[in-house]
Amino acid sequence: MNDMRLGDRAKQMDDTKIRARGVNVFYGDNHAIKDVDVDIADRMVTAFIGPSGCGKSTFLRCLNRMNDTISACKITGEIKIDDQNIYDSRVDPVQLRAKVGMVFQKPNPFPKSIYDNVAYGPRIHGLAKNRKEMDEIVERALRRGAIWNEVKDRLHAPATGLSGGQQQRICIARAVATEPEVLLMDEPCSALDPIATAQVEELIDELRQNFSVVIVTHSMQQAARVSQRTAFFHLGDLVEYGETGTIFTNPEDSRTESYISGRIG
Amino acid sequence: MQDQDQHIASAYDRDLEAIQAMILKMGGLVEAAILDGARSLESRDVELAEKVRRGDRAIDEIEERVNEEAARVIAIRAPVSRDLRVILSVLKLAASLERVGDYAKNIAKRTTVLVEMRPITGADATLRRMAREVEIMLKDALDAFTQRDVDLAMDVIHRDHDIDQMYNALFREFLTYMMEDPRSITACMHLHFVAKNIERMGDLVTNMAEQVVYIATGSMPDDTRPKADKTAYATEAE
Repeated sequence: MNDMRLGDRAKQMDDTKIRARGVNVFYGDNHAIKDVDVDIADRMVTAFIGPSGCGKSTFLRCLNRMNDTISACKITGEIKIDDQNIYDSRVDPVQLRAKVGMVFQKPNPFPKSIYDNVAYGPRIHGLAKNRKEMDEIVERALRRGAIWNEVKDRLHAPATGLSGGQQQRICIARAVATEPEVLLMDEPCSALDPIATAQVEELIDELRQNFSVVIVTHSMQQAARVSQRTAFFHLGDLVEYGETGTIFTNPEDSRTESYISGRIG
Repeated sequence: MQDQDQHIASAYDRDLEAIQAMILKMGGLVEAAILDGARSLESRDVELAEKVRRGDRAIDEIEERVNEEAARVIAIRAPVSRDLRVILSVLKLAASLERVGDYAKNIAKRTTVLVEMRPITGADATLRRMAREVEIMLKDALDAFTQRDVDLAMDVIHRDHDIDQMYNALFREFLTYMMEDPRSITACMHLHFVAKNIERMGDLVTNMAEQVVYIATGSMPDDTRPKADKTAYATEAE
């Protein structure tokens, strides 16, 4: 933690982007998320940690209604982004997902050119009036993805020809191309080597200037490095949620303590 | 040690236990150095004083090993939470113990000089009592560390007051001696340094007890302990 970040935090303490209240998720009989309340701050990185099957990815997927695609999945409670309930019948999930971008565990570029990967979302949402505007959108997104310098000379080469770390940054560029307000990342570095991981982590810290970032990670060290807030999930419960420094130096709950210090809980 | 549940990586537990065992071993050596240093002074035993001086090297070596091991555990395990507090604290505990050992060595050094001088009545016995008190504080601080016993640690912190008062009394006593008989000045100056050394040991042991509270609770105790060393303001007129 450095002082500037502490200052940031104090300033942005009340800036809630996502407000979840009494969220329950069922997969058939399986009660995957149990009555979770959480406020996710704007322009901060929030990390979700917890053992496999604890519900952290499930909860993340509630935030852009990705769980809608699973028929056995039932969600109750309320999730508001900027005071708009995203499960309201008037909300179009496609529009929602433009506002709430997502990056997945494995880099999943479309089998298209680098340019078309990034231009895909803006095209669907009609964000560019002409070719020139689209070029600008693509360049801005690739710059935000910290990959522009590496690909600017081969924008029309297939994205699948890039390295894993580059592909993941293309996916991040693709996610930010639609100017989302929230960026969800589900273990974005688990398929990357340490150098690519460091690049993506650096990128996450930059993205924080413009977006509310929520990241699910199995790497405790990564959560500690990139996030300002950390939420610990265990067996579907949100056990503890707080300032990342506090969670990693002096957690309140013994389950959190056991998990982060690698103990048999 | 009293950290209930085990790590999944059992080698991590072994590393943490080993490093804490080093502190206890170091603590044992320092306890002996305090007692032997004071005893050598009282019984004017130059041989025992020499033994204390030689023994300081072993204490310093353990401190170095604690530092190396702590660095290794930090690099390999990236400790968090309670484990992190243990690692941060053992570094400070080892540093404090090393300083206490140095003060004991200094007492032994002065003993070898003082045996050549006329004894100052009563001073050696008082110094030995004071050293004994500090040694018990250290023993209790180490027990509190092993048991993660906050109450015992707080008790140690409060007992530092008694050491400070003993030091105040000695300070005045030496002042009186020196005013009465200027020939006692050299011996009294040496004895005063011995007293000051023991008083400083008390402060270091107090810091150690505070570290124990930090390990157990995650925060340092409130700084409410009374400061009883008032010699900084002492004048002849008092």
